[in-house]
Amino acid sequence: MNETLRIPAIEVKQSERRTLYTFAVDGKLVHRFATISRIRRSEDGNLSGYQRPEVLSHIEEIRNYVESESPMVPNAVVIAFDSRVRFEPFAGPQSPYSRMGELVVPVDESLPEERRPGFIVDGQQRLAAIRDANVAQFPVCASGFITDDVREQTEQFILVNSTKPLPKGLIYELLPNTDAQLPSLLSRRKLPSLLLTRLNTRDSSPLKGMIQTATTPGGIIKDNSILKMLENSLSDGVLYRMNQAGGDELEVEQILGVLFSFWSAVREVFSKEWGKKPKDSRLLHGAGVVSLGFLMDAISERYRNKGLPTKDQFAKDLSPLKELCRWSDGYWDFGQNQQRKWDEIQNTKKDIALLSNHLVIQYKALVWNRAPTARGRQLELSPQA
Amino acid sequence: MRYFLPDSQDLVDPSFDFDTERRLATRQRQRDDLYAHEVFTERAYDGILVSKGIVDGFGATTSRYTLAQRQRLLRTGAPDFFRLSRVKWGAIPMMGDCGAFTYVKEEKPPYTVEDLASFYVECGFDYGISLDHVILAYQPEWDQTGALAEMQERQELTLSLAQNFFDLHQRDALPFTPLGVAQGWSPRSYARSLKELQRIGYRYVAVGGMVPLKTHEILATLREMNCVRRDDTRLHLLGISRIETVQDFARLGVASFDSTAPLRQAFKDGKDNFYTLQRTYTAVRIPQVEGNPKLQKLISSGKLNQERARELEKACLEAMRRFDAGEVKVDHVLERLSRYEEFYDGEASHQDAYREVLEVRPWKHCPCDVCRTLGYHIILFRGAERNRRRGFHNTWVFYRRLQRELGLAAA
Repeated sequence: MNETLRIPAIEVKQSERRTLYTFAVDGKLVHRFATISRIRRSEDGNLSGYQRPEVLSHIEEIRNYVESESPMVPNAVVIAFDSRVRFEPFAGPQSPYSRMGELVVPVDESLPEERRPGFIVDGQQRLAAIRDANVAQFPVCASGFITDDVREQTEQFILVNSTKPLPKGLIYELLPNTDAQLPSLLSRRKLPSLLLTRLNTRDSSPLKGMIQTATTPGGIIKDNSILKMLENSLSDGVLYRMNQAGGDELEVEQILGVLFSFWSAVREVFSKEWGKKPKDSRLLHGAGVVSLGFLMDAISERYRNKGLPTKDQFAKDLSPLKELCRWSDGYWDFGQNQQRKWDEIQNTKKDIALLSNHLVIQYKALVWNRAPTARGRQLELSPQA
Repeated sequence: MRYFLPDSQDLVDPSFDFDTERRLATRQRQRDDLYAHEVFTERAYDGILVSKGIVDGFGATTSRYTLAQRQRLLRTGAPDFFRLSRVKWGAIPMMGDCGAFTYVKEEKPPYTVEDLASFYVECGFDYGISLDHVILAYQPEWDQTGALAEMQERQELTLSLAQNFFDLHQRDALPFTPLGVAQGWSPRSYARSLKELQRIGYRYVAVGGMVPLKTHEILATLREMNCVRRDDTRLHLLGISRIETVQDFARLGVASFDSTAPLRQAFKDGKDNFYTLQRTYTAVRIPQVEGNPKLQKLISSGKLNQERARELEKACLEAMRRFDAGEVKVDHVLERLSRYEEFYDGEASHQDAYREVLEVRPWKHCPCDVCRTLGYHIILFRGAERNRRRGFHNTWVFYRRLQRELGLAAA
């Protein structure tokens, strides 16, 4: 069935030979007149098309957002039209470079898909999400240009897709100040990011100003190390137990209480290495911060039936470990003839696991299992012969 | 005879919606997920086997646990980690082993006896298997010609580690029951291992390295071992599930075994995917366009059309839904399935098997908790949430078959 869509648009002359049309169109309609030019090679090796396949998980995230309470997708999708599409200007006011009018788009759904007059240059995931979404309509902003030259489309495709993504750290720092429904990866990071901000900004925080972020460039602890430490405890440690109401203010304050107590205790017990840069001490380096986080969880577990440990209780339990820690000089002794120079501990999965296991096992041996306890299963192993 | 299910962090997400294939955004892995013992109201295994190799990961075997999960397991112990106190079946003993298959290519095990014992103690296991090194060769003729030096060394090493493990266990009065490990390349060499382990003092012995053996080879070995087995020595078969011969196993002193086969067959086997008490069926494959690497590659290189793939996939799901609702007949479903299968595989090879299972609809007759709540989704070979639930179902059926074979339950 043939029909013609007339879409109100503004024509914008950007340079001598380039004219752009900006308009709004229901995202559900776009697939009727525009398609995707998929990249492939023909038998003789020639390349055609430029778009990659859709990424379902990404589409799913956008779709959830589009179906949420009051979504807004401000950035425009980009569509290249061939010369079957034309612009008809209205009589009326215009500027030297712009005028109002209508884009006239022929729609013929009997045509094979690749013969449609439009190609989606940017926004295929957004448009796929809107197509699938359980909403009646969702108008999007669009920019279009008219060309019969696929090279021009390819060029625009490369240009819109080679922008530099924002640094992760900046996004995390911005996260706590948003309420919108965020992609799941970001929403999982929201509480850790909020805790990080408060650890870094509260006067009473032992880590005040020490965490390196976009706005605190002088910090000595990498934001990622703190986030990892927080996420570990929020998924498996003491912070998990405290985070049952979904992160309301009261809960956040209680969680901060534990973090402040623990890191104050670390500052007190390891005062010599505190405040040094990772190249001078491994205490506030990724491996140190993450493995200390596991000690916070282990100590809290030991006090589990007596409530949350205080700063003094954390310090008392950490002190016996002071002897064997080699944050800034000497060799760690990991047993079985495994020795590692202090500055050979790297911020890698393997080293973090090695250091964490070592500290927790030593904590169990030196503190936990020494104390009289009702935990029948926690028997002491004699030191190795 | 007791059946232990080896842990591989096999969990299902109760928030998963099978119609929309979405899950709750707030879902936390493991914490909000369910183990089989949390899904079934009736017993589906007697115990759980946890390997150090699976928990820690070694070499190419990456850990099934995050570092934070591993730390929690060691901190709070396995009963807490596996949430055993919530289970209504009664006790679920936990057995630990070293996971010798993860380091089978190494010259020596990468752990010490002390490492392993402390792992067992920290996890709070009820049983702990000594440190061993797998022998992967069944060559009875070596009894005459002499075994390869490497195999002899592995046997000697396994026995001397068993001695150390037993000594450590005695000295520190460790709170779990120790098992020695018998390794060998022939019935006689296994019998020798058993004799030695009994001399050390073990009264519970795990038999290792038998996974690739044929049933008659396993039986020949157990018979030979039975000649030296003390009446009070029990055996555990590592990784073996031969349901047809459990009665023979029982007569030969086997008190327990472990196997992931029922769980894995749900999504690893070419045809035996769905168990019933009588037989097995093939699950109906409707691969996710985005979850199938082969399909994904063809799409991203431009050789297959993604929209078409998705259409065919959706048509299959829709056909299954309507079939289950009684709106369409078997042939309609088969036609849709074969169109999709031809598209992603080049041929439609499962038509007979699918017709069989669709005509019988075995899931309709299964009284297990998964089948009763999941309905036809359980027969779909598609994504971990369905595949693993089918694995749970198989484990539950397997346990009932085992009880029947042992004459313990009227099935």
